[in-house]
Amino acid sequence: MARFVLRRVAATLPVLLGIVFLVMALLEFIPGDPAALMLGDAATPQAVAALRHQIGLDRPLVIRYAYYVSRLAVGNLGSSIRENRPVAAELRDTLPATFQLGVAALAIAVVGGVTLGGISAARRNTALDNLIRVASLVGISMPIFWTGLVLIIVFSLWLRLLPPGGIGTLSHLILPAVTLAAPSLALVARMARSAVLEVLGEDYVRTAHSKGADPTRVLFRHAVRNALIPVVTVVGLQAGQLLGGTVITETVFAWPGMGRMIVNAIFSRDFVLLQGGILVLAVIALGINLLVDLTYAYLDPRISYA
Amino acid sequence: MRTLTMAVVLCMALAITGVAGSMGSLAFAQKPGGTLTIARPTDAVSLDPQQETTAPGTWVYQLILEPLLVLDTHMKVQPKLATSWKVLSPTRTRFFLRKGVRFHDGTPVNAEAVKFTYDRAFNPTSPGRWASLAGPIARVDVVDDSTVDIVTSKSYGPILNSVAMPYAGIVSPTAVQKMGTQFSRAPVGTGPFKFEEWRSNNRISIVRDPQYWGQKAYLDKIVFRVIPEESARTIALQTGEVDFVLQPAPTALPTFARDKRFKVDSVPGLRIVSIGMNLSLPPMNDVRVRRAIIHAVNRHSIFQSLLGDTVIDARGVLAPDIFGFADMQLDKLYPYDKAKAKDLLREAGYTPGPDGIMQRGGQPLTLKHISGRGRVPKDAEIGEAVQAQLREVGIDVKYEVQEWGRVFSLLKAATLGYHLFTTHWGVPTGDSDFGLFPVFDSKQLPPPGWNTARYSNPRVDKALEEAQASIDPAKRKELYAEAQRLIAQDLPEIPIYNTRENFVYAAYVKGFVPHPSEYTLLVHGVWLQK
Repeated sequence: MARFVLRRVAATLPVLLGIVFLVMALLEFIPGDPAALMLGDAATPQAVAALRHQIGLDRPLVIRYAYYVSRLAVGNLGSSIRENRPVAAELRDTLPATFQLGVAALAIAVVGGVTLGGISAARRNTALDNLIRVASLVGISMPIFWTGLVLIIVFSLWLRLLPPGGIGTLSHLILPAVTLAAPSLALVARMARSAVLEVLGEDYVRTAHSKGADPTRVLFRHAVRNALIPVVTVVGLQAGQLLGGTVITETVFAWPGMGRMIVNAIFSRDFVLLQGGILVLAVIALGINLLVDLTYAYLDPRISYA
Repeated sequence: MRTLTMAVVLCMALAITGVAGSMGSLAFAQKPGGTLTIARPTDAVSLDPQQETTAPGTWVYQLILEPLLVLDTHMKVQPKLATSWKVLSPTRTRFFLRKGVRFHDGTPVNAEAVKFTYDRAFNPTSPGRWASLAGPIARVDVVDDSTVDIVTSKSYGPILNSVAMPYAGIVSPTAVQKMGTQFSRAPVGTGPFKFEEWRSNNRISIVRDPQYWGQKAYLDKIVFRVIPEESARTIALQTGEVDFVLQPAPTALPTFARDKRFKVDSVPGLRIVSIGMNLSLPPMNDVRVRRAIIHAVNRHSIFQSLLGDTVIDARGVLAPDIFGFADMQLDKLYPYDKAKAKDLLREAGYTPGPDGIMQRGGQPLTLKHISGRGRVPKDAEIGEAVQAQLREVGIDVKYEVQEWGRVFSLLKAATLGYHLFTTHWGVPTGDSDFGLFPVFDSKQLPPPGWNTARYSNPRVDKALEEAQASIDPAKRKELYAEAQRLIAQDLPEIPIYNTRENFVYAAYVKGFVPHPSEYTLLVHGVWLQK
């Protein structure tokens, strides 16, 4: 198992290098000169040329890539060209906020989704089941910014229960986390429901029931645990969606995270900051994939990574 | 004896009334203390004018760094760190510094500090971002400890306005040398507030300087928060999370105006939004076509329906508060008149085609229009309205809305493939030189310049260049009036609206004075009546 993990970690390296190259190549083709945009309306062409030289834009793509990777190898992510601040410092400021939001949303989506899906399956075709299914449909269909603004209006403006934005206490985290989790929660609930239903029809479950085992124990110890395998797949895929969804959630709730930082970097063509941010996102995504694969091994004794 | 008792009683009564009266007036006096929380859409890039000339930065650092002069709410030059000045020659102006002022780090403000600030900004190898806005400033000469001369490389009329720009705050040389790049995250100046803390993309807080040389602030602290979403900003005001909102959603303003717990304040701004025309691309070079377009566009109805009272009518290519402004009488010269528009097109040789589109020599009158979105209020929507109105007189407009970075690179390119472009021009110096020269002088062509319309009129060039060099305000006004009259006749662009600086805040926030410049936020005199 340990060797499997090591092999996977080693395999991420070429993937990351490939991603860096892809991002740099894409930025070449996006119109807009970072130097001209930064210096603004009244800049002289000499000033723009000087800045281009300073940030290395006058060198060919391959040279810039080699330069970036060589600095990356010693842990230097470069400096944001707009703010003249080390990218590492920017990431240090924003990553914890996004991480906190992402983990909270994932927890809500998984725990809430599995629970609701399990209940839905156990109480199949009752009013409760139908209610959960309709709510799931709404959750998947509504765009994040709409959900977010509605929650702000209801819980901040009308009920004065929670703050409308910003970061700080647990009460600041609730609304953004719920907003971000909503589509994923809905999807996980549906997946869990069908997976549990399928498992409940299996022979070994009927055997357990005929043995006289307590139905709740049957549900959780046997059915849900085995139903989790397809659910884990969905969760793994949803983690990627959550990373993307943080951008909108962070904007609506004024949450000072990495998603917003990356979007601002795109608008100002701050490619050094952008590369740093995307690199971190890629590492997180690859890490999640690894965790998902390891969870399979835990859940399904038939799978082993020798 | 009774008279004496009466007299004593009378005196006591007067004394008590006097005390009571003054206590009554205390209720309306400025209450010291408290924190003002302000919400704005984006964070500053830096708090050092060397790197930051956008509003989110200037709003904050103007309370920390002070220039030699400032522009007041009527855009007139007033003393700040300089108490008086004398124009010695067309290229040399002498400034007498205020004595006894210290920076927040305790070091004294003297001529050396002023020289340091300007040398830093006008360093030829790494100039500050505001250097190109300040005109031909060559150097600063130290005359004595509290006197400096600012020297320009050629005769320059608007020198005082350049010195009064929000970016020209004097920095502490000791702090800059000690802190290096960290100075841009924690500036040290002479202002009524000192820097406290900056959490990126989240909040910047500044605290009252009890040692300030001038009228000390009433507030203990000001916090600038970042809330990107427009409606979230106004909701934060309604729940009391913030006390003051910058760039509020225009649709929310009428609701706040009716609510006694809040106050809506505004003042006409200095930025004109207009539709520029590319005179290098036929048929835009034909003045009759340009005039037909302005006759066909109902400018008032466009911005009234899209923006209501949140903007005002443009009376020319400059805002009224700019020195040298002349009303272009656009409504008198070019009233909304579709019939006149069609007549002008016919004069230019166009006849209506089968589908209603004007054509000349078998070619339909199709114009390409490029605009950004969200750069200025309703910029994209204005283009749509114009497209519909031009269709009514037989002009077919192919309208494109692109992301601002792309539009910027298109407008700055050596050639422009569009006939029409939505553009805007703000004037941080408050002087017509910056308002007109970079945009209408024929030598200021892109990529370096901003004459995106490729407009060329030698008489306008002469007037603008003379006005730039003259140090006689009356003469300059005359020349600018002449230039604006010619521009009104040639019509290289169609002004649509003049921005308004809109603010909405809680009713207990007192002492705020709105300033026409979008870069300036006069909150240092604010107190909280809570």
